[in-house]
Amino acid sequence: MKFQIEDVTVYFPYDNIYPEQYSYMVELKRALDAKGHCLLEMPTGTGKTIALLSLITSYVLSKPSNPVKLLYCTRTVHEMEKTLAELRFLHNYQVKHLGPSARILALGLSSRKNLCVNPSVVSAENRDSVDASCRKLTASWVRAMAVENPNIPTCEFFENYEKAASDAVLPPGVYTLQDLRTFGKEKGWCPYFLARHMVQFANVVVYSYQYLLDPKVAGIISKEMQRECVVVFDEAHNIDNVCIEALSVSVRRQTLEGATRNLSRMSQEIERLKATDAGRLRAEYNRLVEGLAQRGNLPLGDAWLGNPALPDDILKEAVPGNIRRAEHFLSVLRRLVQYLKGRLQTENVEKEGPVTFVASINSQIGIDQKMLRFCYDRLHSLMLTLEITDTDEFLHIQTICDLATLVGTYTRGFSIIIEPFDERMPHIPDPVLQLCCHDASLAIKPVFERFQSVVITSGTLSPIDLYPRLLNFNPVVSRSFTMSLTRDCICPMVLTRGSDQLPVSTKYDLRSDPGVEKNYGKLLLEMVSVVPDGIVCFFVSYSYMDGIVNSWHESGILKEIMQHKLVFIETQDVVETTLALDNYRKACDCGRGAVFFSVARGKVAEGIDFDRHYGRLVIMFGVPFQYTLSRILLARLEYLRETFQIKEGDFLTFDALVNSDIHRQAAQCVGRVIRSKADYGMMIFADKRYSRHDKRSKLPSWILSHLRDAHLNLSTDMAVHIAREFLRRMAQPYDKTGGMGKRTLLSQDDLEKIANGVEDLAF
Amino acid sequence: MADKQVVKRAKYKSSVKDPGVAGVLKMRMERFVFVPNDPTSATKLNVEFRTIKGHKFTKEGSSKQALLNLTQDQGENYIFEFDSFSDRDACREYVATAIAHHSEAGRLVNEKSNVPVSNEQLSRAETERRIKLLQENSELQALHKQLVFGGILTDDEFWATRKKLLDHSDSRKPKQRLALKNEMWSVKPLSDGQSNRVTFNLTPEIIHQIFAEKPAVRQAYLNFVPNKMTEKEFWTKYSRAEYLHSTKNVVAAAAEAAEDEELAVFLKQDDMLANEARRKVDPTVDMKADEGDDYTHLPDHGLLGDETKDVLESQYKPYRRSFAQDLNQHASVVLQGRLVDELGDTRSVAEALARTKQAELSDEISNRNLEKELSDKICRMAEIEDLQGPRDTAVAPLSIKDPRDYFDSQHANALKALGDAGTGTKPLKSSVSSSKAYGSLRDLVSEIRGTGLSDPIMSHDVALKVLSGLTQNISSTRFHLGINPNESVLNRLPKVTKEELLHHWTSIQELLKHFWSSYPITTKYLYTKVTRLKDAMSQVYPKLQEIKESVQSDFRHQVSLLVHPMLQALDAAFAHYEADAQRRSSKSGERPNGFT
Repeated sequence: MKFQIEDVTVYFPYDNIYPEQYSYMVELKRALDAKGHCLLEMPTGTGKTIALLSLITSYVLSKPSNPVKLLYCTRTVHEMEKTLAELRFLHNYQVKHLGPSARILALGLSSRKNLCVNPSVVSAENRDSVDASCRKLTASWVRAMAVENPNIPTCEFFENYEKAASDAVLPPGVYTLQDLRTFGKEKGWCPYFLARHMVQFANVVVYSYQYLLDPKVAGIISKEMQRECVVVFDEAHNIDNVCIEALSVSVRRQTLEGATRNLSRMSQEIERLKATDAGRLRAEYNRLVEGLAQRGNLPLGDAWLGNPALPDDILKEAVPGNIRRAEHFLSVLRRLVQYLKGRLQTENVEKEGPVTFVASINSQIGIDQKMLRFCYDRLHSLMLTLEITDTDEFLHIQTICDLATLVGTYTRGFSIIIEPFDERMPHIPDPVLQLCCHDASLAIKPVFERFQSVVITSGTLSPIDLYPRLLNFNPVVSRSFTMSLTRDCICPMVLTRGSDQLPVSTKYDLRSDPGVEKNYGKLLLEMVSVVPDGIVCFFVSYSYMDGIVNSWHESGILKEIMQHKLVFIETQDVVETTLALDNYRKACDCGRGAVFFSVARGKVAEGIDFDRHYGRLVIMFGVPFQYTLSRILLARLEYLRETFQIKEGDFLTFDALVNSDIHRQAAQCVGRVIRSKADYGMMIFADKRYSRHDKRSKLPSWILSHLRDAHLNLSTDMAVHIAREFLRRMAQPYDKTGGMGKRTLLSQDDLEKIANGVEDLAF
Repeated sequence: MADKQVVKRAKYKSSVKDPGVAGVLKMRMERFVFVPNDPTSATKLNVEFRTIKGHKFTKEGSSKQALLNLTQDQGENYIFEFDSFSDRDACREYVATAIAHHSEAGRLVNEKSNVPVSNEQLSRAETERRIKLLQENSELQALHKQLVFGGILTDDEFWATRKKLLDHSDSRKPKQRLALKNEMWSVKPLSDGQSNRVTFNLTPEIIHQIFAEKPAVRQAYLNFVPNKMTEKEFWTKYSRAEYLHSTKNVVAAAAEAAEDEELAVFLKQDDMLANEARRKVDPTVDMKADEGDDYTHLPDHGLLGDETKDVLESQYKPYRRSFAQDLNQHASVVLQGRLVDELGDTRSVAEALARTKQAELSDEISNRNLEKELSDKICRMAEIEDLQGPRDTAVAPLSIKDPRDYFDSQHANALKALGDAGTGTKPLKSSVSSSKAYGSLRDLVSEIRGTGLSDPIMSHDVALKVLSGLTQNISSTRFHLGINPNESVLNRLPKVTKEELLHHWTSIQELLKHFWSSYPITTKYLYTKVTRLKDAMSQVYPKLQEIKESVQSDFRHQVSLLVHPMLQALDAAFAHYEADAQRRSSKSGERPNGFT
């Protein structure tokens, strides 16, 4: 369908549109017009992504004089793929209706691990080793050597890409990672470098948050983006955590040991170089005297992780004299590592600010703030001089230098916390030194400054006024939409008792009670025989899940469950979990039906949707643990209290932060069942503690609004009855447009009437 | 024509050349019976005309014999030779009427023209297909007769819900594949409690499952048997390894593996599995790819996670195997379906499995197809369903051999769920006259008077026997239902009741299907249709009650359990109709179209 929002003709790839999508677009357009930032909350299942994409692409199409680029940030790669699939659908529609003039170039960007097509490189185990193997083949010095000595291997894809030079372009279209790989294979060009090159010319770039927020990556990838960009952070309820983590470093014993190894290896290299090619070291020294930490523009293959500090905070001056010589620098690092080793030997928890920490380093080992601050640049320069390609081996010393640079750069907003052991396992010594960032606004500040519009959107951004304060920006639009449902398509229930009327809970005293385990098992058993297609179960932790599944296996409950559905389970191994998820979906697709066991704080809960037949029922066994009072969180709250001048008694921020964590947990676990208004799903919160108001009130409001009083204190048989009734109701046909009074679906005619002022958008 | 029966002398021949067996052929409307003259001969026939598809005969006047050939629907033939052509012709005519009587097809074609509203000109092929379907499925036929000729549904309406059936080109649709049993083979060591010996039971089915789920064991079998060890030794070793795993003692497993390298194969983690795991998955669930972009979780960057990984010394790592892993592997194998259909000897099963796996891994083309399929699927998934019209997806049609099985098991479940044990169901066969009964009672009383009550009144043994007999009988309905197909509730009912119940069940299903699919009512047409359906359903209602009351008391309870859900479904429909009618009348003024 096609409709006007003021001066913009919006091309929307469906015949109908939800009213909230329409309003969402109207608000978004206001923000784009004002070239300002905005904050939009709209529940899942209302088609945020497609609304956003169609408005922004249509906006660009309507105003060809003002080409705006869209940088769409997702949290994960699989969300990236989903976004690109929607974009492709939209793009096909727009091209069909507007002709070739609507063509755009849109692509996803990821790391080498996900884009490389060279079989010898991509087979490496993890991202860092893939990066390193790539560098071994593509670093400028390796290629220079290969010219002289044909026995030195290089990457044919990279060579071909270099040879094609400016001819290497992607024709317009929408490219997922898979498409990029296929294209690269066909042409014989390296898809990774091609994609990185094409990012500058693309109309839409979809990539991970970190490519904009983490200075280590953003410094390399997103350096050249111009101001005329609309940046979208989707599913942004966790954005403050991403910002904070981007600037945090933790150091363990293993890190220090590794760093020591790295240092001795580097000193060997230096010795070797002195003997063979002393000129190179001298050249580096001279360059550093002139104030250039890096040799101008690095060749593509040489770039490594960038400076951990934000671009504005990096000093543009010469490296201090006392670390210019390679040996001197190494000895500084050795002293630093030694110092950190000493600090880790503490028996008490220590917490201090960066200023005190730097002062104590200075007084004890004589390294001043400025030297610390240059550690990263100096290390990077040295690595290039030494022509080190196996960068994955040098991550430890990199960590130490990141720590030093951050500590030397920032005086507030951080703290250093040293813990001699994990609080949950006090008998196992596992000392860790963490540099924690408390101020989420630090990492995102450059993004707000550089780009004309930043859109932060998610299903749950409540309380919505918290985010501008946490991230320190002024949105021109800040709105929260509610979902208008055609029918009661979600059915939350609180189950407090098993079929034998005994309470169920994962509370400490009841957790390993065989009666509770049995009741939980019976609940699932009853449900698998009633509910069609997919059922997802969340447990409070891996260990609890393992325990209970094993006991179900032994008591034969699992066997009975398997007579109804296939059973899949999340494990700590990502590859295996991915496979299990894929199989789970297949089982749901083919009508076999399946159960997926997952962990409330696991990766699956965080990022996988169980919409439509992939999740007709979500069972939450127990209340997820809350490590709310960890030292890091406490330190962060303290900082926020000071900076935002929030009084002790006024616990808006505190409560919001602590609760938002639980909020997020619950919302993430159960909030992913609805994909559209035609979809439906049930949620069972199986723990007696949910019947208490204080626990329950932490659930998202859209779930609470459907939670009837009669469903607050159920036993298994009652829940089964309700489930049967609900499913029968959902199977009946209904009027999708909502009919009575409330419109929940609009057609093109309706929109025209609204535009002409004939009708109001009443919802 | 309306002769009750025809009796002729004839010879039954298995083929034309066969000299034949002389005897008497009797024909009735339902069946024909052939009794040979020689009572010792085994060639007796008793065939229902229902099963006879057609008949052929030789021409009169030719020098040939007077033959009549009846063709059964399974392709079997019955050839009879008659003494004279006149005899043959009498039989032939009788057969023709009998076949016509039994085959509804003939009638249907005639009646097609009388079918009420048919507002759409049907193509010939379409009509033929419909007729064919009716011929193939007698239940459908009965339903069609009742509903369409009863004027409750129009022919088009009846067929509209069966579009799928009419689409005969299901060759492009994927076929349903059989799967392995969804049951994990767990080592439940059977120990006799006295010695330390434990025994395991392996069947070919289990072995097949083990091979499918554990490629390393399959490979080991191909490598070791029979060159290195016998089959028995192999499985003994395997069982030993399984037993070690079941004790969850990683250290012990590692120790044993160090001593015995063949055992170690079973104890170690399955490397081949890991390789097979590297296949393409749907990128929208590919969490593995996320790691590639996760820069905050560089080693030692970011903040510490919450979940601690359990620590295990590296030397024991290969011996750790989690139940979760087995569970996932099992489910994926079941999902994949049966790769090897025939359960031959162990070795051939292993080889066949290895071959298919190999083919799967190396198949480049299928890989590309898979990629395409995946991207198609993602595109489909990306769409928001209710903003767009419906779309057909290729799903393998579910084929339940006999839909009644499903019906039975559902009711068995209902019985189980109600927790109500059907009372003793074996009909008691006893016939005692009242005087006899009185006499025996009097004898008993006098006997007790004479001897007094024995103490204890009843011996323990007898009491126990009675009690356990009763319990068994009570619980039998509960536990045996749905498990043994021959002992379903339905089969125990008298045949008439059973047929009637089933008939009502199907017709109610059909009516309800039409009823619900007419909502929301947006046109006048739908309105009249719903009213029609409602009337029809309310006619069924009392009939069900009747059935309930008409059956013997033994079965009444069970029948009422069977009828209950039907009544419930009807009630729900009526309630919906009433509510809708009310709403409609309340605002009939401004909204002639009405909404639900």
